[in-house]
Amino acid sequence: MLFFRSEELIDDWCRTRDLPRRPSVRMDQLWQLAVTWYGTRLTAESRRPGPQEMRGIFEGLGLLGDFWDPQSDAFAPGKP
Amino acid sequence: MTSDTDVKLAIYQATAASGRVPTADAVAASVGATREDVIASFGRLAAQRLLALDRGGEAIRMAPPFSAVPTPHRVRVDGTEYFANCAWDALGIPAALHRPAEVLSRCEQSGAPLELSVDSSGPAPSTWLFHCQVPAAGWWKDIVFT
Repeated sequence: MLFFRSEELIDDWCRTRDLPRRPSVRMDQLWQLAVTWYGTRLTAESRRPGPQEMRGIFEGLGLLGDFWDPQSDAFAPGKP
Repeated sequence: MTSDTDVKLAIYQATAASGRVPTADAVAASVGATREDVIASFGRLAAQRLLALDRGGEAIRMAPPFSAVPTPHRVRVDGTEYFANCAWDALGIPAALHRPAEVLSRCEQSGAPLELSVDSSGPAPSTWLFHCQVPAAGWWKDIVFT
């Protein structure tokens, strides 16, 4: 989970490592993820979101598709 | 008897106060429990994905968003410097502490430094991007790699 200065630099990073390009996330979206995940982390009630909550969080930010599905097997070994 | 919640709060309060994730001995002293009980609690908290452990489960590697080891992702809050586990967690630290922060990191491809101010409304306007190589379903299969 890394920062990049531009889409082109993400492309370069993936290409030079022969890794698949994944969806990028804007900083305002990342802030919303950070607040949702960690805003209550220092409280007694804090817990990590479950799979259904994660789907809702990602969908609410426009982060759609199998990549963001915590229970997807689309990227499991052996899948095309 | 000390609860897992007591242990969790002791970990996070100590980390928030000092910037350093505490040892099992320090947590035990804080909550008035034995080291063995605290390590057992570490294991249960890790099973809930609230901690990632090291040294056979006896040390904390990650108390997300905080890292127990130095990383390229640093966050300054009120004069204290914290290490974040990743780019997401770099914004997670000001979100967890509810304090203005300076996030110091880098572009992983170009090496260009990132210096990002964050306040209660979020980061200053920025065209920088976040990219995660591991799909969400695999994040905790190897959380250190993720």
